[in-house]
Amino acid sequence: MTRVFKTLPNNFCPGPIQRRGFMKMGLGGFTSLTLPNVLRLRAENPSPTKPKKNAVILVWQPGGCSHIDTYDPKPLAPSEYRGPFGTISTAVPGMNFTELLPMQAKIADKFSVLRSMRHGSPGHPAGTMRMLSGDQDTRDKVKPRLPDWMSVTSYLRSKAGPRATPLPPHVAFNGPASYNGPAYLGDAYSPYYITGDPAKPNFSVSNIGLSDPNEVQHLGRRATLRKNLDTLERSLDQVGELSALDEFETQAMTLLTNQQTKEAFDLSREDDQTRDRYGRNTWGQQLLMARRLIEAGVDVLTTSLRGPLCGRVQNWDDHPVNHHIFDALRFRSHAYDQAVSALIEDIYERGLSERVLVVVTGEFGRTPKVSYQPSTGAGDASAPAGSKQPGRDHWARAFSNIWAGGGIQGGQFIGATDRLGEDSIERVCHEGDFLATIYQHLGIDLTTTIDDFNGRPTPIVDRGKPITELMA
Amino acid sequence: MNTLLLLYHSYQRLCRPRQLLTASAVLLGILAHGAGASETEVSFVNDIVPVLTKAGCNAGVCHAKAGGGQNGFQLSLLGFEPAEDYESLVKQAHGRRLFPALPHHSLILRKASGQVPHGGGIRLEQNSAEYAMLQRWIEQGAAFQTGTEPKLVAVDVHPPRGLIAMKGQQQLTVTAEYSDGSLRDVTSLSLYESNAEALAEASPDGLVTTHDLPGTFAVMVRFQGKVSVFSAAVPLGAPVPNLPPPANFIDQHLFANLQQIGVPPSPLADDATFIRRVTLDIAGRLPTDSETIGFFGSSHSDRRVQLIERLLKSPSYADYFASKWVPLLKNRRDEASDITANFAFHAWVRDNLLANSPFDQIVRELLAATGTVVGNPPAAWYKRVKDPKEQLEDISQLFLGVRMQCAQCHHHPFERWSQDDYYSFAAFFSQIGRKPTGVRGEDLIFHQRGIATAQNIKTGESLRPAALGDEVGDITADEDPRLRLADWMSSKNNPYFSKALVNRYWKHFFKRGLIEPEDDIRETNPPTNPELLAALEAHFLASGFDLKELIRLITNSKAYQLSALPNEHNLADRQNYSRFYPRRLPAEVLLDAIDDLTGTTTAFANLPAGTRAIALPDNSYNKSSNFLQFFGRPNSQSVCECERVQSSSLAQSLHLINSDEIKAKLADANGRAANLAALDSSLEERVTKLYLVAFSRKPQSHELQTAVDYLRDTLLDVEGKPIDGKQALQENFQDLIWALMNSKEFLFNH
Repeated sequence: MTRVFKTLPNNFCPGPIQRRGFMKMGLGGFTSLTLPNVLRLRAENPSPTKPKKNAVILVWQPGGCSHIDTYDPKPLAPSEYRGPFGTISTAVPGMNFTELLPMQAKIADKFSVLRSMRHGSPGHPAGTMRMLSGDQDTRDKVKPRLPDWMSVTSYLRSKAGPRATPLPPHVAFNGPASYNGPAYLGDAYSPYYITGDPAKPNFSVSNIGLSDPNEVQHLGRRATLRKNLDTLERSLDQVGELSALDEFETQAMTLLTNQQTKEAFDLSREDDQTRDRYGRNTWGQQLLMARRLIEAGVDVLTTSLRGPLCGRVQNWDDHPVNHHIFDALRFRSHAYDQAVSALIEDIYERGLSERVLVVVTGEFGRTPKVSYQPSTGAGDASAPAGSKQPGRDHWARAFSNIWAGGGIQGGQFIGATDRLGEDSIERVCHEGDFLATIYQHLGIDLTTTIDDFNGRPTPIVDRGKPITELMA
Repeated sequence: MNTLLLLYHSYQRLCRPRQLLTASAVLLGILAHGAGASETEVSFVNDIVPVLTKAGCNAGVCHAKAGGGQNGFQLSLLGFEPAEDYESLVKQAHGRRLFPALPHHSLILRKASGQVPHGGGIRLEQNSAEYAMLQRWIEQGAAFQTGTEPKLVAVDVHPPRGLIAMKGQQQLTVTAEYSDGSLRDVTSLSLYESNAEALAEASPDGLVTTHDLPGTFAVMVRFQGKVSVFSAAVPLGAPVPNLPPPANFIDQHLFANLQQIGVPPSPLADDATFIRRVTLDIAGRLPTDSETIGFFGSSHSDRRVQLIERLLKSPSYADYFASKWVPLLKNRRDEASDITANFAFHAWVRDNLLANSPFDQIVRELLAATGTVVGNPPAAWYKRVKDPKEQLEDISQLFLGVRMQCAQCHHHPFERWSQDDYYSFAAFFSQIGRKPTGVRGEDLIFHQRGIATAQNIKTGESLRPAALGDEVGDITADEDPRLRLADWMSSKNNPYFSKALVNRYWKHFFKRGLIEPEDDIRETNPPTNPELLAALEAHFLASGFDLKELIRLITNSKAYQLSALPNEHNLADRQNYSRFYPRRLPAEVLLDAIDDLTGTTTAFANLPAGTRAIALPDNSYNKSSNFLQFFGRPNSQSVCECERVQSSSLAQSLHLINSDEIKAKLADANGRAANLAALDSSLEERVTKLYLVAFSRKPQSHELQTAVDYLRDTLLDVEGKPIDGKQALQENFQDLIWALMNSKEFLFNH
């Protein structure tokens, strides 16, 4: 459940400069964590004065969302393309959605829609790797070849120096995890994973903010004993190479004992009105938690909208064998629309709209032309096994994603697909542009390279430019 | 080290204004080439390409084709392909980059000098010699060849070696030699990179400046695809008295280096430190308390030698070194059905290590494997590594220490490897036949009759097998070319095979390779102690590629037995081995050590109870073990040992401090805390035992006192009543074990 980050692997950056840096941090580290200090940590605010760095919330639609049925309706296309949903106008003149998104339509001036994403990897693994890591390999692989942008951010930020907050830089709250990861950066840059259903009353995050005072007391006793036994420690500490450990031990103790950390993960501290507004369901509470954590200092938060709210196969992969796509979209649309619109509004209302960029996307769109197949199983949004139902397959040639906050100009629709929604034709954007836009918001130099296992400097973005229209 | 490569791909490094060429610095170099400069015909290859390279135009993230080429202007990486660069500069984009009618209006000049906006900033000043040179070349008609230009033959740096004081300086001079015998001073046109920037830096003009750290470093000098290296030592100059008598040639070479640079080594480590260190390094486990007591009690003067022999004979030696090799050989479980092949392959590696098969024989069996995995386990490598390119890249990096990946697409920036070298190496793997077998995903491997060739994707030429530039003779259609490669590897004169292995093993015991990274051997990455490396190679070769003998030699050296504690002079030393460099225990070893300390075992799927983590056959266990994941056990993805993560992380700390896994081990009803609490012996004896297990030493008196006092503490329950004495003692023992486990003395091999 808990997966976090590390400092530079030793082999990346040997040398006394790094060592001295660690020593400075290290001497105040675990060695000095006695019981009183533990209690102090528990009470203290973790240096709230430092200006917070820009952050990103990625809301992932695993499986791929049908663009035609949501943000890029084609009311004039033949019925086997356009689907059954009516078109509604939004707060932005000229930008229409389907009827599935009434709440987002009302606040469409607060976000922008990019309708012209395009890449060439129509498999789930390859498509996910493409969007999250920029890998142009169209083959579906078991493991990612390149690190995803979240790990890259975590890695680069950890290189930049110690964090001002006890929270980990990169949290995946039911986030995408199957086809992405830190690749050659190493597992230490994996996110801090939280799983579970935050809408359940008994939901809690383990290993964060111990609530039992006895447990805190006990940990303090142990820390004190360890300090009193310390002999070799001090002489080895001179060497400095070992003191990176102290930094993480202190962080770990803070996570375990600091009350503020615990509060960041505690949804019950939100008022009922807010919780209702996001929706009292998994997705709503997930996005609310995302906002809480980002507000508390997490840099990158990913969260996937999957599970029973999606329908029978628990994701957006609406092939006709899986789902009755239109039933499925209708089934999930309310929770989706409510949660996403609440998050966007909340970001603005709480003054986070400059610092926090919200991106909602999946790995690709879905085939504009509807196909029919016998269902493979009954369940939510799926016809009884054997009966024919409509679906749409994988489609990477054209799809949409939405962008909010991050100082972007809301109320725009950028790019366009053709008459049938089959190809992005105007302002075509690729995964590199997608990544570059995110990195730019995070203040990461787009020309940064990181050495892979072979020592080859690998660019974090290959051939991409920030989508400047978003920033206009 | 990796910053070396970074230079050539990084925008910040090469496109920064600091490296802007100044007129005076370059003028000299240019004038040196041809007298009466204004009359001389400018050569595109010899004059213009070096200017573009020095200005950073063809660096990876600027206009190098490999990096995409900003705004469609694509140059070959570092100017290795002048013909392509000419095409790109003169003809592409409708010829808009040059303006022959008004040469100074040419886009190349206006962009590079910032007269029009340029993403890369100002690269050439308008009054610089390069600017003038480019303009003159355009005025002269922008020809590709003058017809008379000589070819670059070699580049030499002067001096080649040096001894520079701390905070000292040394100006390098670089001379290019051409086919017509002419020499040219190219100091200002060359590129410089120090391999240890903490020790010394090199300016764009070739001025080397040392800092306040002693040690050895090298500066790579590059001019137009040719390289030369300046190696130097920075002495500390402290007296180096009372060196221990050398145990073998390792000590002679190592101490000679310390004397030269004036860094006195730490004293020899005591017996307790030694038994823990060497047992961890050879057998991948902690010594047991009885082993430790026996060792302390031995009066033999050669007890360290005997200990090493005993460890080398133990099965845990084979387990431990198999756990080092098997991930590098990508024994990876992608499918559940891989289990049989993976177990067989792991057993094959382990058994060969246990039997101490000569290393060249192990490699030969792997490299030339045929048949099925069940019949011939090393064939599993070909099951895993299917692509001939990956095969050649893995084999060359793992067994030769040569990284060929770059040469697939472009001439390696710091090496002589060309694409021809790459594909002629690939040709060794071109005749591997595969037939499906009854086992899913598994092929029968055989030699497919035919003449081995591979095609250079760029030139289209079909190339016969050749090993890194060495001819291996004609190979008939019936002969498996891989055998010829194996012969070449283990031949006496092979410059890579032994070097790569001894360097890799040196790193295992000393934390840092004599060449670092350990699998990046090239002229431009010289060893810190060349004499020592050469002697190790010769010894390994003479021993018949005997791995245990190499380990015996290394661990018996006084160099290996130095204390980790620094003296007043060697604290900063990180490359001369003047003290032992502590390192965190590898994931598997640490898990086993925690099991030993807590008196528990960890269960692994499909393996008998009590199987230790260092004996795990493949990566599949990482998925179910947070511990192994957090502490960086590799997933068999890469041929590089760097996949194994040895650094600290928050997840590790959280896990050790408060995870359910660790809590359960501490509280185990049959675990060490419970057992110690139940013993009748004195608390002092019990604490001593615990220290022997954890640290292979007895507690010091203040430690003993602190521990015993703690154990005697009464504990209160939630209501404030004292809890039962036995239970309190057991909990106190848990706390004590927790405290020892969370100490650096435990987590590190020191």
